[in-house]
Amino acid sequence: MKINPLNKLAQSEMLNKHINKVIKDDMFGAKTLVALNVTKDVFAYAIRFKTTMQNEKIPEEKRPFVASMDLMSGVVTAIMQIGVGFSLAHHKIQDIIWDKFFKNCNFKDIVAAKKGFSQIMALIGSTILAERILVPLIATPFAEKFGKKFFPHKNKENINYSHFISIEEFNKDIKDYSK
Amino acid sequence: MNVMRIGKINLNQHIATSIEKFSQNGGEKVSNYVNAAGKAVIAPLVIMHNPFTKEDEDNRKWASIKQPVEAVITLAMQLVSLGLLYKGIDSLIKKGKINFKYVENASKDISKIPEKILKACNYDYEKALSMYKKQYNEIFKDRLGAIVTTITYLPVLAVSNKIYPKIAEKIVNKKKNENKSAQ
Repeated sequence: MKINPLNKLAQSEMLNKHINKVIKDDMFGAKTLVALNVTKDVFAYAIRFKTTMQNEKIPEEKRPFVASMDLMSGVVTAIMQIGVGFSLAHHKIQDIIWDKFFKNCNFKDIVAAKKGFSQIMALIGSTILAERILVPLIATPFAEKFGKKFFPHKNKENINYSHFISIEEFNKDIKDYSK
Repeated sequence: MNVMRIGKINLNQHIATSIEKFSQNGGEKVSNYVNAAGKAVIAPLVIMHNPFTKEDEDNRKWASIKQPVEAVITLAMQLVSLGLLYKGIDSLIKKGKINFKYVENASKDISKIPEKILKACNYDYEKALSMYKKQYNEIFKDRLGAIVTTITYLPVLAVSNKIYPKIAEKIVNKKKNENKSAQ
């Protein structure tokens, strides 16, 4: 008999408990969405850093800053997104905003609307406010310092970055620095 | 005063209707839209006009051009891949090949449906069960969608890394040439 893996997943106690909690608790749903977003971002920033460093199409003198920007954005974004996203997902804040703007509005499905609202609020907080405004403001000077620390060049006319293009070499440098 | 009041209520109602429509798309799609909007519009502005950095303007231009290019490619790939995934799951659910344990339990026992849903449906059992099932399907699709979105970053970044340097070079060089000819 052919086993459907998706149905096996749909029958698992863990997934059912999780989905049931998301349905019952809008704040938990919003927080889960923020946490998933952070996980995706951390993964993407790690890949982005690695590929930028190896991307020969980006001029060598631009590469350290672009790559450092990716790495620093990844670190700062995870912390900021959780902080801002979780704060905005808090039920007290959500209730204040909901009552102020939508208390007298008509909804076909108020349960879905409230869930959507809490998700959008948490996402705007974590993705736009934290990740796109606060993070670049903080990450840019970090990236600048990081780039200069790990990719120093005394003679600007004669730069050889090929040493840093290899991720293994870069990891070795980080280990040496941490010692 | 009355006009202002009516205007305010109407605006809030429009936003409320948009939120309701948007929420029907499921969390993962909403998350991708918000992410792409922030990346394409806000991020380049903040990188270019960051008062806390003395980084060379050309380098900042390169880093900021990367953001909208990547956002467009990411959103396009995510919409295609999530569209196919959601369609596939919907079809399996319709054929009865995916059945959720808690929904099956709720169809036998009304008390298993969360109170919140029962209340929203005025304790109409059929309607509540249908809403419970619908929300279950959406969240299930979202969780699988999150995995697919994460995986799509690999081809997205590969494509973006090929396209973005060409665009950045064109824009930066074009501006340089324009400045030179103006001088």
